[in-house]
Amino acid sequence: MANFFPRWSNFTPLKLAICLGAIGFGVTFVFAVYSGPQSQRVGYQPTQPIPYSHEIHVNQLGMDCRYCHSFVEHGSQANVPSANVCWNCHGPNKVQSDNPKLSPLYAAMGIDQATGAEMTPVPLEWVRVHKAPDYVYFNHSAHVNRGVSCQSCHGDVNNMKVVHHEESLTMGWCLDCHRNPEEHLRPIEEVTNLDYDVEEYLKANPIKDAEGNAIETQTEFGAFLKAHWNVKPKESCATCHR
Amino acid sequence: MSKRVWNHPEVPAGESATQVWRSPGELEGNPLFQDWLEREFPEGGELTKEEQELSRRNFVKLMGASSALAGLGLASCRRPETYIVPYSNAPEWIIPGKALFYATAMPRPTGAVPLLVTSYEGRPTKVEPNTDHPESSGTDAFTQASILNLYDPFRSKEVLRQGKKATRAELDAALKDFSAQAGKVGFVFGEDDSPTRTRLIGELKKKFPGAKAYRYETLESHASEEVLGDGVKMVVDFAKADRILSFDCDFTSLDQVGPVKPFFDRRQGGSHDGGKLYGHDLDPKKMNRLYQVEAAYSLTGGVADHRLRTAPSQIIKVAAAIATALEVSGANTKLEGDDAKWVEECANDLKAHAGKSVILAGNRHSKELHELVAAMNAKLGNVGGDKPASLVQTGNKGLAGLTELAADLESGAIENLVLLTPSNPVYDAPADFNFKELLGKAKTSIHWGLRTDATAYAATWHVPAAHYLESWGDAKTAKGTHALLQPLILPLYDGIGELDLLSAFLNGGELKLGDEQTPSAGYDEVRKTFEMAAGKDVSAWSKALQFGFIEASYPEVALPQVAPKPGASLEAPAPTKDSLDVIFAADASVWDGRYIDNSWLQEAPDPISKLTWDNVAYISPKTADSLGISKELIELEPINNVAGIDVKNAPRPEIGEGEKARAYMIDVTLGEKTLKIPVLVSFGLAENTIVLPVGYGQAADDGRSAAIKFDSSKPTVGFVGLNTGFNVYPLRTSDGSFVQGGAKVGTNTGRYNVSLTQEHHAMYGRALAREISTAPVESHGHEVPFKDQVKKVSKQGMDSHMPPNKSIYKPNDTEGKPLISDDRHQWAMAIDLNTCMGCNACLVACQSENNIPVVGKEQVAKGREMHWIRMDRYYAAAPDGNEDNPEMIPQPVACVQCELAPCETVCPVNATVHNEEGLNVMAYNRCIGTRYCANNCPYKARRFNFFDYNKRNPLVEKNLYKGPWGEKQVGDSRHLQRNPNVSVRMRGVMEKCTYCVQRLENAKIKKKQITRKKSLGMASTEVKVSAEDLRIKVDSVKTACQDACPAGAITFGNKLDGNKSAMVRAKESARNYDLLNYIGTLPRTSYLARVKNPNPTMPDAKSVGRATINIH
Repeated sequence: MANFFPRWSNFTPLKLAICLGAIGFGVTFVFAVYSGPQSQRVGYQPTQPIPYSHEIHVNQLGMDCRYCHSFVEHGSQANVPSANVCWNCHGPNKVQSDNPKLSPLYAAMGIDQATGAEMTPVPLEWVRVHKAPDYVYFNHSAHVNRGVSCQSCHGDVNNMKVVHHEESLTMGWCLDCHRNPEEHLRPIEEVTNLDYDVEEYLKANPIKDAEGNAIETQTEFGAFLKAHWNVKPKESCATCHR
Repeated sequence: MSKRVWNHPEVPAGESATQVWRSPGELEGNPLFQDWLEREFPEGGELTKEEQELSRRNFVKLMGASSALAGLGLASCRRPETYIVPYSNAPEWIIPGKALFYATAMPRPTGAVPLLVTSYEGRPTKVEPNTDHPESSGTDAFTQASILNLYDPFRSKEVLRQGKKATRAELDAALKDFSAQAGKVGFVFGEDDSPTRTRLIGELKKKFPGAKAYRYETLESHASEEVLGDGVKMVVDFAKADRILSFDCDFTSLDQVGPVKPFFDRRQGGSHDGGKLYGHDLDPKKMNRLYQVEAAYSLTGGVADHRLRTAPSQIIKVAAAIATALEVSGANTKLEGDDAKWVEECANDLKAHAGKSVILAGNRHSKELHELVAAMNAKLGNVGGDKPASLVQTGNKGLAGLTELAADLESGAIENLVLLTPSNPVYDAPADFNFKELLGKAKTSIHWGLRTDATAYAATWHVPAAHYLESWGDAKTAKGTHALLQPLILPLYDGIGELDLLSAFLNGGELKLGDEQTPSAGYDEVRKTFEMAAGKDVSAWSKALQFGFIEASYPEVALPQVAPKPGASLEAPAPTKDSLDVIFAADASVWDGRYIDNSWLQEAPDPISKLTWDNVAYISPKTADSLGISKELIELEPINNVAGIDVKNAPRPEIGEGEKARAYMIDVTLGEKTLKIPVLVSFGLAENTIVLPVGYGQAADDGRSAAIKFDSSKPTVGFVGLNTGFNVYPLRTSDGSFVQGGAKVGTNTGRYNVSLTQEHHAMYGRALAREISTAPVESHGHEVPFKDQVKKVSKQGMDSHMPPNKSIYKPNDTEGKPLISDDRHQWAMAIDLNTCMGCNACLVACQSENNIPVVGKEQVAKGREMHWIRMDRYYAAAPDGNEDNPEMIPQPVACVQCELAPCETVCPVNATVHNEEGLNVMAYNRCIGTRYCANNCPYKARRFNFFDYNKRNPLVEKNLYKGPWGEKQVGDSRHLQRNPNVSVRMRGVMEKCTYCVQRLENAKIKKKQITRKKSLGMASTEVKVSAEDLRIKVDSVKTACQDACPAGAITFGNKLDGNKSAMVRAKESARNYDLLNYIGTLPRTSYLARVKNPNPTMPDAKSVGRATINIH
């Protein structure tokens, strides 16, 4: 009986295996890179009802984060300011009061911006950028009161004209910091200072460690603060999941 | 493979051991009980055929649908856009995500319960006792569950006229008409005492010259007031009472006569002296002693040192005999047999403690008994001044009762009626009043209530009421402190407060309701009363609102001269099997029926019988025997032949243990009325006595005969209360009130499915709930004094046989570091069985705090109830004791947080692991539902979500099996009660107690602000924070169960606080022992043995306090 398969087919299974392997690897690789939160979340930049610019308010006007996010030191949530906070500056006959971009704010306060007539208030609906899942109980006050800056999780918000998602906020990312808090701790006074630079700070405020050597790097400074403040971030589930 | 089972040592020949059991099945060694014991998920472990079939089909359908959708558009690539909607005008004080606490009180006939209510963003979620209040004594299950009534989706929302929906405008007009021409109007109030209401009654009487005020609540009898005086009640300070004799008075739970906390403090024998909990050893001489004479077990009977089991009609004879022994004039009764000795010694003990004792009579007993008790208290000098008991004049004076109301309606002395009582007289008034007909005699009747109950439909008008958490008001606590009620939320369904309505009658029918800006009329009235009592000072008012009360007390009155004339009542013949005594008992779940739509209470197992979702009749095993039905009752075996079952659409038996608990139905005939009701045996119940709990059977559409037929056009209950229990009120007549004789029982009328939890989650091991006695007891042939019994507590039962166990579970991680390493907090708990009475307050509080779902009657029967705290109840009879009158020991068991936890090692996904602080925590989002952990838990403390109980309504029949097509309850008003700090678990997730970890985390996070606080005024780099700075204040964080406990049985705290923490001191007590210590799991929750304080001269002294001493 003649050979059923020609000679060239001898290598077909191997070629097939290599091809399938390559495709499989490719698909897995692409999926791993592009479907994870680091690709899906980072860079998320929705359009907000009012084109609020952190850049103008923080960098140009020098406002502190806590003017608007007023409960960040006290509660679990860094609240988005209620409309009456914006109203303090942007109310009738105040800053930019005739700018039509502010009409949703006027609507929230129950005033028709164009006519000045009273109306039923329509609450502002800000689009959520940073979202922890429902089963995660993140607490802002536990972090900002212990030397973790806004910047560590939210990035350089002071330079953002439109806020976007900077970090991945995955559980692995949380744990990285919980395991090595030295990389992120800074003095309490500097938590909301988004222009903070550790080396400049240490130059201006020289600090010596226990052996009397000057502290120069973030890691050394973080370790110093960690020891001083007894910072022991937990890694067990109940820290965030209840 | 079957579980490795430890074989308990046999009882040596020639010795007898104490018997302990939870159910007749266990006592009789029924193989079904063994089955429950050996498997973690008796029925639920495997889905039934039907369940499997349905879920497979659903799975295929769902997969088909979802892949089709996925193809349509890759909608799931990005997460959905969500919004943050801040307040437009932020209200003062509210920080999103942070709770606020407001003081208020829950009005109750026995005295208001001072409360502190947790509120998240204007949404009340949890009630807790107000510990600033001088009379604070925890809460009970009713109080804890009352918050669910606020969110009940079946609350009355609409105005009704003649049972039909009417508009608010029509009501407004009607109120104006009514106020203009009311004239001879009767107002029927509840039995709670509100100073503002009392003031308004006076004004109403002035405005309407023919007006008359009444009060009525079904379970409140006025027999004692007939003796003591109008509106006079006896209040007891248990701190001063060394000896207590109670005639069927359940003063620890259902019939309170003053704060109960001091009673339980006295049970601790001076170990709480100086306000320092567990500061001293328990001294038997400082313990109080409780004698209880009762027919059926009450929770008070469970903690009693001596309990005399007496048929209800015979209790007065015992009282008369004790009065005779105390030489009370007019009493001349002698008992015979064992009881005579009991009475004599009890009387001697009381005489020896004259002036330091108190005698109580059950609220619902006859006037004659109350006379005897008053005379005995007078003889012993127990009343007035600094004595334990005092008589006080409440504000409920000059209010007539139901009998007068009936007469006035009959004679036309009252033409119009306003019903403001929380009871439901059309349903629950004694049958011979025929209240519905009486109500028809009124020209106009206005019913005000939270529910559209039978009375709401019978009255001309029904006005939806505001819940007490929605209204302004005031109330008197047991001793007369003036407590203020403030609203936590605007009325959800535009309900109207009681004071708002009364005030409208005074103002020409003009209702003034509150809104965001202005408070309702109730506020003005409460404020006015307050100013009359405490002046116009605004700061005094603010302070009173902040703390919830102003100091006040009821005026004391002298004990009137009482000459007891028990006379004819002594001649009541003892019941026989052909003429049984019937007790109409208050129900621990629905009270008089008003909580029928409260699913937490319905599902909380009855503290004594462990029955859920129903009421049944109870009889003693011997009575069952003499009636010839003991075989049917004790062996709750399935019978194939269900012919003759009277309940047409009752759930048919399925395979498995769940449906094995099918109770036998009997006919109870009393007078001319007959009631078909299931029956169960109850231990410790007097012979020839039937207990019928009231309040159930308010509506049924399954054809059961002993319930009111459900009319869907006039729904009196929601789906919670539908088809639950049997209505026993028609049997009750006014002459016999709550105890009636001469009942007959007919048998063999079918079977009825009941959901009993007494055998669920049964643990192996012996001497689980331990007990010792202050009197020397005989053990293994020699006498053991109290001192030695205390020492041997930790060596009772299995622990006397087993060598110290070495656990196979390792306390270190792979690198050798200890897993439980935190240097700030190490949590632990101690539960003192000496003060636990088993009242379910903790169980409901836990449900309320931790978003625990209800699962419905059918699921409970399958052993799938979700309560994290399981309230075990054991009966125990010492070898020489009386099996018919066993002791009762409750034991709450939740996860004990083993340091070496068997559950953790078997979890394939690390969803349950230890944290650094000694908690065995659950990561719900990680759990994949293998249930290995529950299988490996020796305490059976884990609960599994077999279905999506939170999302799918489990109370609609077969709804859970319909998958995505079932009725959802998302967005249901009850979801407003959810605690935002606890995950709501879904289907397929295991859950259990984690010591309220959300409270611990919140307390710890609050402490972390110290770094910032210390940085004020100095560079934060110079700040030093120590472990002590970050440690939360000693005993400052409380778990929900601990907070709720009216007896202070639970102590919780940080082991690193050393003996500054009450919990550590409790654990240092010699009474402390670990549950199932022999397994070597090192639990963080430990128990303290119960101490009974028998009178050594009593005939039954030898068998008291020995529930576990003679266990091998």
